[in-house]
Amino acid sequence: MSVSLECKKVKRTGFLPAFLGGGILAAAVPVINMAVRSEMYLDLPGNSIQILLDANWQMMTMLNVLLVVAGACLLYHTEYADNAMQKMKSLPIRESSIFLGKAVLTICMSLFVLAIEAGAVAFCTYHWFEIGNGFFSELCKYFGFSFLLMLPCVILSLLISEACKNMWVSLGIGVVCVFTATMLPTTNFALSLFPFAMPFQVFASTDVTQSMHYIDSAIAELAVLCLAQLAFVKARRLLE
Amino acid sequence: MSFLSLVGVEFKKIKRSKILLILLVATVILWIPSILNVHMNFDMQAEGISPENNFFIQGFMGMSWFMFPASMVVGTVLLSQTERANKGILKMLSLPISTAKLCMAKFVVLLALAALQIGMAVGMYYVGAAIASSTQNYNFILQPLFVFKEAGLIFGAAIPMLAFFWLLSVCIQTPIFSIGIGLASIVPSVLMINTKAWFAYPMSYPFFVITAEYGKLATNLDTAQVELIPWIPVAIGITILALSISCLRFGQAERR
Amino acid sequence: MNIIETRDLTKSYADFTAVSGINLHIPKGAVYGFLGPNGAGKSTTMKMFLGLTKPTSGSFTIDGKKYPDNRVQILKEIGSFIEAPAFYGNLSGEENLEIIRKILGLPKSSVAEALEIVGLTQYKKRLAKKYSLGMKQRLGLASALIGKPPILILDEPTNGLDPVGIHEIRTLIRSLPEKFDCTVLVSSHLLSEIERMADTIGILNHGHLLFEGTLDQLKLSAASQGYPTDNLEDTFLALIDADNGQRGAVR
Repeated sequence: MSVSLECKKVKRTGFLPAFLGGGILAAAVPVINMAVRSEMYLDLPGNSIQILLDANWQMMTMLNVLLVVAGACLLYHTEYADNAMQKMKSLPIRESSIFLGKAVLTICMSLFVLAIEAGAVAFCTYHWFEIGNGFFSELCKYFGFSFLLMLPCVILSLLISEACKNMWVSLGIGVVCVFTATMLPTTNFALSLFPFAMPFQVFASTDVTQSMHYIDSAIAELAVLCLAQLAFVKARRLLE
Repeated sequence: MSFLSLVGVEFKKIKRSKILLILLVATVILWIPSILNVHMNFDMQAEGISPENNFFIQGFMGMSWFMFPASMVVGTVLLSQTERANKGILKMLSLPISTAKLCMAKFVVLLALAALQIGMAVGMYYVGAAIASSTQNYNFILQPLFVFKEAGLIFGAAIPMLAFFWLLSVCIQTPIFSIGIGLASIVPSVLMINTKAWFAYPMSYPFFVITAEYGKLATNLDTAQVELIPWIPVAIGITILALSISCLRFGQAERR
Repeated sequence: MNIIETRDLTKSYADFTAVSGINLHIPKGAVYGFLGPNGAGKSTTMKMFLGLTKPTSGSFTIDGKKYPDNRVQILKEIGSFIEAPAFYGNLSGEENLEIIRKILGLPKSSVAEALEIVGLTQYKKRLAKKYSLGMKQRLGLASALIGKPPILILDEPTNGLDPVGIHEIRTLIRSLPEKFDCTVLVSSHLLSEIERMADTIGILNHGHLLFEGTLDQLKLSAASQGYPTDNLEDTFLALIDADNGQRGAVR
């Protein structure tokens, strides 16, 4: 129920068009890159998805993560701007269920964005490489991995936005986090577990154990962040 | 009311907004990896750049490609939200001051925030260089004159970009679009600086300028150099255009 | 029977005490008027009932339930309207109420009913941020009245309304206990207003409860203390003034 309510609340805020636009923009990156300089990539070894993602994923993820940060800021901005949060708090629902509703909504939108991007990768493969056997199951593997690694980032951005009543503060913290993520080396396992840095990882079909480590850590981070949210709501109630 | 005192008023409005803290945290994070990986500066023979120059320019490149522009988008959000949150803008519009002046005063505040962040980056550079010098037994500290010249170059190159961000936040009422377009426009600047049309894209100016400086310092590298002729007129044109549109549009949405 | 009772309810902030050890007894099925000058602690008390701020000490029960153990149960029974109306600016009046309706699990018809009660039906499609002050106030009231909760907490409900609106809302509040069988806790800084609505009143000043009882009791006690009684406004002013004087002397 709370998800459908959240959908209602984002009406006319530009949330849905922003995700649509952001998804299309990110999807345009590999297409344009291939259109401009396909000769750089055509002779590389490995499968086409790997080549395309290695070449473009950095920039695509950057757009995805920024989109998630901006979206999360907006979701809580509508709550705080005209004091609607106060009304919500005086209704018989839990703040955590509001959070959950927003999380599910953002996660669905990121899935949507990733689907557009997967479409773009499929298009590039079809146009410049060739779609071999089992291409689509491979594609699902790659983007399923990316989707999973995106989840902690979504939850953490929402948590930041919930904590800050001013939109620009949560945006500022989000931007600093994204910046930090770009500074962290993706090859260092421990450092790349930072929730904002994780989405920059690409599924490595050659090194499945490494990828499994990332999946496990993503799930663990999710659990920790959800507990943090519960604790945060409790703590804020005590302090107010 | 004189323009200067109006600027003072605008500064008062962002009191207690903690923006300085966020700008500072960003600059601190900028230099930490450089300090930790300082030994890598000694492996730059291929590029032909001295360790101290490399330490400095890498940090400034990191700043001008994403951190600095993104912090400035946050700054524009701060400036527009403080007005809109409690309808402060309505009060301002009902006072006897010209809206264009008000708009420009806010832009000056944005410029000041930019200068502050660059200043902080310079300050943090000296802290970082001092730490690096003591850990590596090698003098990483560069002449202040040179450092300030580079910092000034970034600031100057950033003005058209800031004017563009300001235009976005004035003209686009829906916050997510002004933020989203601002942030999304930063990302492709890595691609734009490699094209011939870089001078048409104000978001890539600071990064382009500093990359060109990198090329000058690294004798074996051949990066594109700044060509003043198409660039300066285009940059001035973009700045004037963006600022005059924002002055015209400022407060229009609230005046309907 | 009292539906809301407080015991030594206190709320202090770092530098001042907003509510200091008050004991309220709000009878079921009546309109209870909460009276006091600006900053007397009316809103703070009401916010504590809704769990929007935590009491520093003391406790209260609402319909036999205790905060914070029964927070959700308590909130299910209360319709509230606190200070400035709270709403989503990007949604229309109707959509705002629709959200509250869904959270409370009420039938679809309740939105139209609430809009009708406060007289917003013809503006229901307009965005809430484009509402006039009075319309925002009405939207806030509608969001409190929706679903006919057994307890209504209304903080300065007539602020920003025109005289006709004030009269309408006053009549509405007066009729609520009979119509919906509910208890109303309404605050105001105007005695003349409370006088026309409330059965029982409580007077707050600087966080202290100066008086609690019916209007007739107020007249009696005022007369015994030598305050003017022919005009209640004067009684109230004299009461507050005397209290302020005392407090000043203490300081």
